[in-house]
Amino acid sequence: MIKSLDPRVTRAQIEENNTITPLKDLDQWETYEVFHQKKRGDQHMHVGIVHAPNAEMAFLFGKEQYGRRGFSVNIWVVKTRDVFASEYDDSDIFDTVPEKQYREAGGYKVMEKINKYKKGV
Amino acid sequence: MYGNAYIDPNEKANLILAEEDPQKLAEFEARIDRGEKIEPKDWMPKEYRKQLIRMIEQHAHSEIIGALPEGTWITRAPGFKRKLALMAKVQDEVGHAQLLYSAAETLGKSREAMINDLITGKSKYSNVFNYPAFTWADACVIAWLIDAGAIINQVANAKGSYGPYCRALDRICTEESFHLKYGHDNVVTLATGSSIQRDMVQGALIRWWPPIMHFFGPSDKISQHTEILMKWKVKMASNDDMRQQFLDMYVPKIWDLGLSIPDPLLKKNTATNKWEYTEPDWDEFKRVINGDGPCNAERLAVRRHAEEHGRWVREALNNVGSKYIVPLA
Amino acid sequence: MNQTSSEAIKELLYKMADDLLIIGHRNSEWTGLGPILEEDISFSSMAQDKIGQAQALYQLLNDLGEQEPDTVAFTRNANQFHNAQLVELPNGEYDFSLVRHFLYDHADQLRFEALANSSYEPLAKVARKVKGELKYHVFHANTWMVKLGSANEESHNRMQAAFNEAWNYALGMFEKSSFEDQLIAEGVFEGEETLQEKWLANITPYLIKAGIEIPASTSWNPVFGGRIGNHTANLSPLVEEMSEVFRFDPTAEW
Repeated sequence: MIKSLDPRVTRAQIEENNTITPLKDLDQWETYEVFHQKKRGDQHMHVGIVHAPNAEMAFLFGKEQYGRRGFSVNIWVVKTRDVFASEYDDSDIFDTVPEKQYREAGGYKVMEKINKYKKGV
Repeated sequence: MYGNAYIDPNEKANLILAEEDPQKLAEFEARIDRGEKIEPKDWMPKEYRKQLIRMIEQHAHSEIIGALPEGTWITRAPGFKRKLALMAKVQDEVGHAQLLYSAAETLGKSREAMINDLITGKSKYSNVFNYPAFTWADACVIAWLIDAGAIINQVANAKGSYGPYCRALDRICTEESFHLKYGHDNVVTLATGSSIQRDMVQGALIRWWPPIMHFFGPSDKISQHTEILMKWKVKMASNDDMRQQFLDMYVPKIWDLGLSIPDPLLKKNTATNKWEYTEPDWDEFKRVINGDGPCNAERLAVRRHAEEHGRWVREALNNVGSKYIVPLA
Repeated sequence: MNQTSSEAIKELLYKMADDLLIIGHRNSEWTGLGPILEEDISFSSMAQDKIGQAQALYQLLNDLGEQEPDTVAFTRNANQFHNAQLVELPNGEYDFSLVRHFLYDHADQLRFEALANSSYEPLAKVARKVKGELKYHVFHANTWMVKLGSANEESHNRMQAAFNEAWNYALGMFEKSSFEDQLIAEGVFEGEETLQEKWLANITPYLIKAGIEIPASTSWNPVFGGRIGNHTANLSPLVEEMSEVFRFDPTAEW
């Protein structure tokens, strides 16, 4: 048994030459993506992942890993495998031709007409 | 708490880029040159992935093993204020391991595989944690100076190119700044306290100085390999540069407290503006990193024990049909 | 407040604070050794909460004329501690630690809930302040109890065995004080008997979900004594350990 400087370790009665079977796949469970809201009124933001066996525990873990310093008022967890994410390789799908001013505020300029109209009156 | 990745200078550098698609490589490097981050599913050179996994994994292992020397004093920390702060600090180290394993997972190595490599001794962790924390003051010196060293490394690496690692490091650095303040406060309290306390902290500093000098690793051999890793913003500063930065920031603070550092040659050369010191014992460094330090066996035995004794808990809650997907970010 | 009420309140505060201090230390033994990183972090948070709550209660004692929280917590001997024996038992495996956490935290939450309406306002204030922490602790305990109690044969057997082992010690938490009638009469605290009834009602639905059986009431044999300073051999080494550095120089600032 290890006689450690750490009394906690000594009490745990650990053999120095202990052996271990390697951890199998999924030993650490699957992952959940964690989103938190910093304060009411804010959007939820992705903050990281937790490994968890179910949603309740993902919440329990996410709350402490990402919210333990009191920076969160609300947390969502969702299984990583349930997230459909776009590929960075396809990020050109976010590019668009510039001729779409009709859906931007800056695409509408009325002052010229107003001024012309006022002068004409 | 982590110093710097140990990169083998003898690795065959000329093969690194041999099989990479030149066009993809050019796009990848241009992205890094523009200061953009690389994200998990981006194309990346094999060597980039390999070195990042190695580095982040070593960093994660260092956090979880790093919880042990300071954990030695959790139940004995003197008084409520210190006890609560130390518990929070060690908890943070475990939290850092969680964040870093998660970042490494995005590169395709599972947490199980990383833990297996740790507990079989295949992957390394920061050498300093193979040394014992004999007294309360050792825990205080670790909290101040090892965390200070870690911050220098982590702040540099947070400007690296791999998105998930940078995000983890941003969060880690915020918490480390509490550790550093906490550690400094402890050391100042002991150094300015009773003579018993002062002797305690001086003794701890003498014990910890050699591991602290080892913390950033031996001088890097400038090789094609390290140059490429620096260009890819995997390695952000040379080991010697970080060591110099550390000495610059902390030696004066240590001397301010009237504590002596056990190195008669330590001084700043005003002409070169560099610190001169006795060359650390790199043979000891190699011996300890290869398993022969004062606490290597205990540290790994504790980790094996924790994993083995937690196994029934993890197995019981494993669900049929659950499926591992590499985390997104 | 008259002299006797002050003594009665002190007694109540001591047993609550000592419970929290000792279980907080026990739980902190898992920091860095937990079954999985995420749970390690969660359990460490709760251990911190417990020790912080203990400190708040020792502060109330200090306000009532007792010594500083650090002195009270870290210079007494084991036989001066008023914690229930349940909290001083060694951690054992994670099953026992979780079962103890479940049994203790339900009682602790109810105790604080009752005290939030206490006629002794400083205590009521602390009770209201820690409400959120306790809610998380109990939610954590319930979730683990239900999941592991009903997961597979090994986990069920382990949880049931740990439960049986902890049960009589858990009943010992409700050891009555000599001031019991007075505390009830003055509206400071509803009393151990009421507390135990509520506790039983609260834990039962979770135990049913977990498939964990409470031992037959004929076999109940509460382990009393902790409240009056009788402890198992496990407490003394822990008390010495947690004050080892502090006692090195009790007058020094650490």
